Amino acid sequence: MPSVTFDHVTKRFGDVVIVEDFNLEVADGELLVLVGGSGSGKSTLLRMVAGLESVTSGTIRIDDRDITHLAPRERDVAMVFQDYALYPHLTVRDNLSLGLKLRKVPKPEIARRVAWAAGMLGLEALLDRKPKQLSGGQRQRVAMGRAMVREPLVFLFDEPLSNLDAGLRAQMRIEIGGLQRRLNTTTIYVTHDQVEAMTLGDRIVVLANGTIQQVGRPIELYRDPVNRFVAGFIGSPPMNFIEGRLDRNGGAAFVADGVRVELGGEREPVPVAAPVTLGIRPEDISLVAAGMATSPVSGTVVLVERLGGTSHVHLDVGPNRLMAAVSQEQLPAVGERIEVYVPSARVHLFDAGGKCRTARP
Amino acid sequence: MSKFIRAILYVGLALAALTFIYPFLWMASSTLKPPGEVGSLALIPDRATLDNYRIMWGRAPFGRALLNSVLVASTVTIAVLIFGSITAYAMARLTFPGKRALNAATMAVLLVPGQLTLIPLYTLIVQLGWIDTYAALIVPYLFNATAILMLRQFFLQIPQSLIDSARMDGMGELRILFTIFWPLARPALAIVAIFTFMGSWNEVLWPLLVVRDQHIMTLPQLLTVFALGGGAGTLGVSLAAAMVLVVPVVAAYMFLQRYFIESMAGAGVKG
Repeated sequence: MPSVTFDHVTKRFGDVVIVEDFNLEVADGELLVLVGGSGSGKSTLLRMVAGLESVTSGTIRIDDRDITHLAPRERDVAMVFQDYALYPHLTVRDNLSLGLKLRKVPKPEIARRVAWAAGMLGLEALLDRKPKQLSGGQRQRVAMGRAMVREPLVFLFDEPLSNLDAGLRAQMRIEIGGLQRRLNTTTIYVTHDQVEAMTLGDRIVVLANGTIQQVGRPIELYRDPVNRFVAGFIGSPPMNFIEGRLDRNGGAAFVADGVRVELGGEREPVPVAAPVTLGIRPEDISLVAAGMATSPVSGTVVLVERLGGTSHVHLDVGPNRLMAAVSQEQLPAVGERIEVYVPSARVHLFDAGGKCRTARP
Repeated sequence: MSKFIRAILYVGLALAALTFIYPFLWMASSTLKPPGEVGSLALIPDRATLDNYRIMWGRAPFGRALLNSVLVASTVTIAVLIFGSITAYAMARLTFPGKRALNAATMAVLLVPGQLTLIPLYTLIVQLGWIDTYAALIVPYLFNATAILMLRQFFLQIPQSLIDSARMDGMGELRILFTIFWPLARPALAIVAIFTFMGSWNEVLWPLLVVRDQHIMTLPQLLTVFALGGGAGTLGVSLAAAMVLVVPVVAAYMFLQRYFIESMAGAGVKG
């Protein structure tokens, strides 16, 4: 099983820097997710591995083989595209086998691999259909099958689920995850959807403006985001942020209009009175019965969303809007003034540059 | 809409259709009429005869001219499709230095009327020693700016991911063009084919300049020489020759017309 190494990879279009000095090693059999907003450079990175985009400087290696300047067909990688990119005039069978025919794979071997992939993906009954006779999920499976039959060293997925509706997306996400584990093929998966990133990735790379913000296992990124961008990007619903400052009178505390959170434990020092942003995840906030608050954060309920299992309570705290995700049955009414508990152990503090000052090493 | 109004509408449309088709039907039927009947407006000849065709065939090498026309028009059409789509593919989907200039130059060619280039082109053909050869009829038409621009426009609409995917499957650019783009571009190719074929088939002016040998002449040229030169003698014979000229074009159109409606580009990507 091969690894993929990015060594000081940079991509520029004229003066515009798309990817800046990117260094990373994708381990054998790993599913690595590249996640970021549009323009973060994630698709460009994937296309550079595929050979569809040139590399301005740096090298990309698969194992010890430098593939930076090879043609796409010489790299032994297979890609699944966002719009599936099936050949419209060919049947499913021909779509699956074309890449093998071009590589002069013997006919019986092609038939064996097509049957294998079709069996794994449940495509047996569809082999003689054309792409336009298939549903979105079926087309997605054919696109995956086309990558599988090649038996490549590396799979590349470019936002493969973004054209599917929500239900199908969840189902296909599970299928892709299961398939990757069974095949154990090194995979790079690009998405803008943090739920896909969290559920699929062995590791996640969060990208912004062509640079790595953080690399780590999903739970590490969730628990210990290194900066405000990662904190806001990973986690659903997103983290709450409150602008304020530190107060050292009577123990370190974060203060903002209508908010005071006592900070216990060791904290990397932020100069007192410098602007600080507090981050707290909605699921870490709990509602407190009136008058029992130990942490004086109180606000007015502006919206209650009942999702069934959990509910989202939105409240105005001074000029800030907070959201708490709670699972209790008894919920406050809109307009009610309530108090919430913000546990100091779950608080993230970010300095003016967005860097997290509470990250555990 | 009431049935009455609808009926009137259809009668009107039928009359309009008849106005268009009558001259053609009249021409077709007149080729079968003996000389005394040709002047009549009736569509069914009283005494049908093939004499007009027989006389025409005997007086000038029309059979040979028909073959010449088929040879010239099909060679030109095939060349325009192949060279045109190769150029259009490069202009639409590849990046290379001078691409914008090439686009602009192709566009500029459309602005120059064909008649302007007749004289220089003629001089060139004379110097090449190509007078009275097929090369004179074919070579100047092998590339066509209109065809290139039409195909380029169509090729621009084909999703980039199909090209990416084909490249990863191991295809080179020519293979992508002929095995992926051609099947998807059938409507555009058919339109280009029929316009090119008709343009070449109906060309009279250029052959008149470069061909004097009756055996190299194309059908419309021979027909023009024949009818204007008084070789036909009677109107029926002239019409018979015109009929021979029209039939292949109509046949080609009927063969290709289904592609005009057929459009399948993009069916394999998200839908």
